[in-house]
Amino acid sequence: MTLLRHEIKMNLKSLLIWTVCVGFTCFGCILLYHSIEEDMSEMAGAFSQMGSFSTALGMDRISISTMEGYYATEIALIFAVGGAMFAAMTGAVILSKEEEGHTSEFLNTLPFGRGYIVLWKYVAVVLLILLFDAICICWCGLGFAGAGSTIPAKEFWLFHGAQLLMHLEIGSICFLISAISKRKQIGTALGLAVLLYVMDLMCRIVPDIECLKYVTPYYFSNATDIFVESTLNSSMAGISIGVTILCAVLAAGIYRRRDLAA
Amino acid sequence: MNKVENAIAISNLTKTYGKNRGVSGISLEVKKGDIFGFLGPNGAGKSTTIRSMLGMLKFQEGTIKILQMDAVKQQKEILRKVGYMPSETMFYPSMRAKDVIRFAAKARDLDCTQEADRICQLLEVNMDKRIEELSLGNRKKVSIVCAMQHKPELLILDEPTSGLDPLMQEAFFKLILEYNSQGTTCFLSSHVLSEVKKYCKNAAIIKEGKIIRVDSVENLSKSNLRRVRIWEDGQEKAFSYTGEMKKLIGELEGRNIEDLLIEEPSLDELFMHYYEQEAHEEERV
Repeated sequence: MTLLRHEIKMNLKSLLIWTVCVGFTCFGCILLYHSIEEDMSEMAGAFSQMGSFSTALGMDRISISTMEGYYATEIALIFAVGGAMFAAMTGAVILSKEEEGHTSEFLNTLPFGRGYIVLWKYVAVVLLILLFDAICICWCGLGFAGAGSTIPAKEFWLFHGAQLLMHLEIGSICFLISAISKRKQIGTALGLAVLLYVMDLMCRIVPDIECLKYVTPYYFSNATDIFVESTLNSSMAGISIGVTILCAVLAAGIYRRRDLAA
Repeated sequence: MNKVENAIAISNLTKTYGKNRGVSGISLEVKKGDIFGFLGPNGAGKSTTIRSMLGMLKFQEGTIKILQMDAVKQQKEILRKVGYMPSETMFYPSMRAKDVIRFAAKARDLDCTQEADRICQLLEVNMDKRIEELSLGNRKKVSIVCAMQHKPELLILDEPTSGLDPLMQEAFFKLILEYNSQGTTCFLSSHVLSEVKKYCKNAAIIKEGKIIRVDSVENLSKSNLRRVRIWEDGQEKAFSYTGEMKKLIGELEGRNIEDLLIEEPSLDELFMHYYEQEAHEEERV
């Protein structure tokens, strides 16, 4: 618990900045809905008939003129990519920052043990992602309250549950990268978060690379799919949980066995 | 007579970094209650040995026992009883000195406030400053507090005095002697020979990853090496001499010597002598 408290304290500033940026943007965009509602109604038809662009963003299946559609196609995108970037960055620096900042010698010569360090650092990543998602959901809730609108609760929570799994998966992949690296891989982490999003867009448009839907966690956590189908693809969610666990276990195994730089 | 237990027992330690040399076949014993010097220039393998002892590096061969515990299997228990001061002291820059010290105590589930405050007073540590605002010397002081506040059974110090001013060095060694008198064993890695000669009872010399000599500092200082200075034809000449004194006197006989001084070498010169001796032996092999 000492290490968990320490890590949360060290990451508090970054958590606040990201939650304010992503959460406040979601809040602002939700409040904007009523002022652009009329224009949205006029454009909804055009948006749904833009071929691949509409398919990629799911606007051919849900109307952007409803709050539900607006949330699934616009707000969800900000939440998904913003959250993925935060998760990726948090996971990617939590172990490697010690070696890059030359604090690894101090930390690893305290009687924690490497197993304890890797466990509690991973718990810190999970907790930070949970806090990020929870705070951003609160911002969205405030937005709905401010706009005086509601969206279906079941789909809303299914979507955010799937998003949490997606963020945890990306955070865990980057945690594994962090366990291998001696330098903070922030660029790689942010690149990965964006690359997986692009994969999702591409595999929705190009049938030949449809198999990428099993690779990118953005696919199963896509808001439009969840709001239209009112369900979550459980096998893909299972793959995501499997990848998350595998990355965490691999990270622990590698970190416990390798030489640590001062 | 009771046999004194070993605080450190290293047997045949080998650590390589890919194709690069680390240390090779190191064997070393440090008795409990000793202040042991570990001498060698930069890159000789001092830090590799220490970091293998503390579990930072995974070595390929050999065994390390610290306080009769296996360094690989009982790392956590060892670290609980050891205080370590690294050569390059770095902490989390945004943390205050007092928070770093408290964090190190909490990691051991101990309340070390009293001892920490005492050491901070002795070393004049500003507890309220952030680490990023501290100079190297002041960071070293925080490191000393972190290493000593839990009154460890074994202190491992890797080049502890670099960055400390002479007054602080004196205060630091006073602390070391105080802890040692209470039973703490000290393992002092250094390339400053004078501090090893002044404070250590036994020492080992490491060269290119191998131990070339382990002995008491007294014996290490004893050698048939002599520093000879002669004043001849108004000129001063100095050289080192190893061998029989009769032969030296014979060689000097008949020369126009105005004055002669034969003295024991300094530890620095002895250190270099051991290094050269080792090199000659290697050449012969």
